[in-house]
Amino acid sequence: MTHSSMESQTQSGFGDESNIPRFGLYEEELKKFDWNLLILEIVLFGVGIWNLISATGVQDKSLGLYKSQLLWFGIGMACTALILLVHYSTFSRLAYGIYFANLVLLVIVLLIGKASLGAKRWVGVGAFKIQPSEFMKLSMLICLAKYFESDRTVGGYTLKDLILPFLLAAIPCTLIILQPDLGTAMIIILTATSMLLFIKIHPQTLLLLGVCAAVAIPTAYKFALKPYQRQRLISFIDPMSDPKGSGYNSIQSKIAVGSGKLLGKGYRKGTQSQLNFLPEHHTDFIFSVFSEEHGFVGSVILLAIYLAFILSGLSVAHQSHDKFGLLLALGIMLSFFWQIFINLGMVMGMLPIVGVPLPFLSYGGSSLITSVLSVAILTNIANKKFMF
Amino acid sequence: MAFLGQEEQIREFQDRFRYLYAILLVGIFFLLSRLIYLQILNGDKMRRYSEENRIRRIKIVAPRGMIFDRNHQLLIDNHPAFDLEIIPQYLKESRQTKEVVALLSKIVHMPEKELFDLLEKAKNQPSFYPIKIKADLTRDEVAEIESWKLAMPGVQIQEEIKRTNIFRDIASHLLGYIGEVNATELPKLFKLGYNYKLGDSIGKFGLEKELESILRGADGERIVEVDALGRIKLEKGKERVLNGVLEKPAIPGKNLVLTIDQDLQLSAAEAFGDKIGAMVAIDPRSGQVLAMLSRPSFNSTEFSRGIPSSIWAQLLNNENHPLRDKAIQDHYSPGSVFKIITAIAGLEEGVIDEKTKFHCSGSMRVGNRVIHCWEKHGHGEVNVISAITESCDIFFFKVAQKLKSVDDIAKWAMRLGLGKKTGIALAREIPGLIPTEEWKQKRLHQPWNAGETLSVAIGQSFVLTTAIQLANAYAALGNGGTLYRPYVVKALESNEGQVIQEFKPEIVGQANLSPKTIELVKQGLWGVTNSPHGTGFRSRLPGMDFVGKTGTVQLFRIAADKIYQRCENMKFQDRHNGLFVGFAPAKNPVIAVAVIGEHVCHGATAAAPIARAVIKKYLEKLNPELYGEKALAARLKGAQKIQEPTPAVIEEKEDIVPNEGIPALALPPTETPKEDDDEPND
Repeated sequence: MTHSSMESQTQSGFGDESNIPRFGLYEEELKKFDWNLLILEIVLFGVGIWNLISATGVQDKSLGLYKSQLLWFGIGMACTALILLVHYSTFSRLAYGIYFANLVLLVIVLLIGKASLGAKRWVGVGAFKIQPSEFMKLSMLICLAKYFESDRTVGGYTLKDLILPFLLAAIPCTLIILQPDLGTAMIIILTATSMLLFIKIHPQTLLLLGVCAAVAIPTAYKFALKPYQRQRLISFIDPMSDPKGSGYNSIQSKIAVGSGKLLGKGYRKGTQSQLNFLPEHHTDFIFSVFSEEHGFVGSVILLAIYLAFILSGLSVAHQSHDKFGLLLALGIMLSFFWQIFINLGMVMGMLPIVGVPLPFLSYGGSSLITSVLSVAILTNIANKKFMF
Repeated sequence: MAFLGQEEQIREFQDRFRYLYAILLVGIFFLLSRLIYLQILNGDKMRRYSEENRIRRIKIVAPRGMIFDRNHQLLIDNHPAFDLEIIPQYLKESRQTKEVVALLSKIVHMPEKELFDLLEKAKNQPSFYPIKIKADLTRDEVAEIESWKLAMPGVQIQEEIKRTNIFRDIASHLLGYIGEVNATELPKLFKLGYNYKLGDSIGKFGLEKELESILRGADGERIVEVDALGRIKLEKGKERVLNGVLEKPAIPGKNLVLTIDQDLQLSAAEAFGDKIGAMVAIDPRSGQVLAMLSRPSFNSTEFSRGIPSSIWAQLLNNENHPLRDKAIQDHYSPGSVFKIITAIAGLEEGVIDEKTKFHCSGSMRVGNRVIHCWEKHGHGEVNVISAITESCDIFFFKVAQKLKSVDDIAKWAMRLGLGKKTGIALAREIPGLIPTEEWKQKRLHQPWNAGETLSVAIGQSFVLTTAIQLANAYAALGNGGTLYRPYVVKALESNEGQVIQEFKPEIVGQANLSPKTIELVKQGLWGVTNSPHGTGFRSRLPGMDFVGKTGTVQLFRIAADKIYQRCENMKFQDRHNGLFVGFAPAKNPVIAVAVIGEHVCHGATAAAPIARAVIKKYLEKLNPELYGEKALAARLKGAQKIQEPTPAVIEEKEDIVPNEGIPALALPPTETPKEDDDEPND
């Protein structure tokens, strides 16, 4: 960066809201560039591609899937470079714009979306399709962070303060459930809820909300869920009730993971997944392919990489001195945590099958791009902490 | 950028991070312990399960919905069929391949070599995929295989359904057939959100195809745990993953109750004999299709388990196109049955009335050409009623000359639903064609020429209709001008016979005919089958008020000297088509019938008797007290017996529509119906 960067830094001064940070990298930023998350992201993606080649190797039709995954990653990296050049507070200014654009996309999906497996989740032209619900995970977080940034409530949030954040999460969730995409909606709800708990809710309000949830959840179960979604929940509790769908997947996925034993069956030698016992094994059940082929040792190593990734992300949040940055980083990491935890729990038969992708490993462009953009924002927050 | 007071809050937030780390650790701990449980503690067992394919899913085929006629007569049923399959994995495991193949070859009477070849061919697919050895086992073979089952690991019997048309080839076009879903269809179905697998049955034609989602139901499944030889393990033990058998029952498809009356179809088929063509009967009060046949036909049962290629080739190569539904899928020139449209146009446009008379001398001069009536000696003085009755060409030529343009005829044809799809819920219905000046300009880039209007007036030239359109148009005339959408499914019923949904008639248009016009045309039609001068007098049904119109259509332009040549002396493919469209009773008809016979020479003697048989059967059934044999005899006693014309006279009553001025190609190529030889297993 050039000589003028120092100048603009002083201009953009501490606590001065009206000044818009300049475009480009600051000198300090280059010196203290936080590579941790980017490196971990590339490692995870590398493992993901390697694993995806194995997972899709047998079926002729999906042979080229890893190539499109690489293409999506390339697009994501280009966006990362752009994001690193602006100050993340730009997202605070654009928050509602991004959010509404995403909402419009969700409505379009419902109106003219492309269906697959009975659910309408995609919009796009020709082969280029995106899944707006995935992006909503990020858009909603930016919005929530913005809302709480300018708020100065002391002693915990009461019901009145929570109306807007509630709507921010509930509107997209409703649209996503209509698609229906239970998994993504659940991730959004879990992330938003855990974020609110972190920010601190007034104890009375918390109690009230707890009671509401106790009433609302059974009601939603009865009226809002489609029969097949209900079936998935039931089949988790009682695998006998639907052997064809979820119960069967659950059993086969468990067998796949278990049969990996200590060292695994070897790369491209996983019989469970290679022989197509497992449907959707290159998307939601990708971990069973990895775990079957690389065993306990491989799985623990992968788990360790994920742990390192989450810890690095949380430390970005932890060290941020800006409320918006802190909350956004925190939200993003909570979202990652829930996706990883629920996906692995589901593949290993501990949780119901709800259709949550495993970040960086599952096949799927929109999910990958969302993850990559999230990491870009986190790195941006990490790099800009010198400004406070 | 921070707000005042934010630092404090941020510090507070930072304190809370330890909770996050704690939660994270708990989560990781859960995942890690699950990994240890599955991979370390249960690893050996799981490995064996994955290698031996110990979990097997057994498909339970859902019974497809049955199809009944309106009186609950069963038309399409599911008969069981048994296939012999081998799962190579279990066979290999038993190390008794030779013995098993030897035994099996004796039981099913197949050479051992053939069995080994089948096993060899399947080497490339996963060894747990069943290989089909023989389809449609006999009962004896099934019993014998069952009794030897323990000695033949990997050998199994798969129960399938054989879709059976109880009446063999009757209405196979309407009912349709099923076949195995093929690899090209799968992605399309998948996109639509349907869950089919290779080997599943799917409707390929007719109602089986149109109502696939209703008929299909949902297959069930059993998940069982088997031992290394594929035998179902029943005893409980430590080695098991499943606690018992998981079963999801199949959901049977819904049954269809059609508007069809099978008795009518049987009567029609009998009357058709080996003639080629189509017949459609519609209830003019609702648009319900009472009967619908296309001849020659095929036996849809043969398609159900994969049609043998020899039979398929025969059907494809048959020049009479047994696979086409001639009732909706083929265009025909309506010929004289179209004359009522010209009569209606003349009356409604005010260029003729009931008093208008024209003289028919057998021919007339148009410009510098002479055109002929089919009756070379002429009909003399004719009015609109006698013109219809005797099918006088000259009368309608003169009406056409008086009309402003061909569009006046087209207007009334279209109001009665001709020239467009009737909207019956069957794929492949074609629209037909009613020419207008604008159409010709657009399609052929030529101005309309007045001479062509004369051809149109007698249902020739570009005019093309389908059998169902003609039946529906006459039905609309019969009921006073209401055009219904014809429909064939009356109700959906559950597997137990409870009505789930009933379908209601749907009005798609009003012809807006004046009562006087209807009355005059009906009188003309009454004469056709009831006046000794009528072209269809021989097919009259005394006491049943059966009315209609005959038509005989030359297929080629015939040289002037051959116009009056006997049709029977021509080559079969050159012979005239015969048509008859009518309804009964004339006043408030309960049935309208259209019959088209290809190359039958005469509408009056070949098509009218088929319509007559159907109408007679229906009226007798509907109201035996009024139309039963005894009732009719009693009613007609005393009524003056109408004199039967001598056969010689009848021979003359052929209202052949001459092919004057017909363009060599009636339609530009884009309008020709596509020859769509729907391969069942393409």
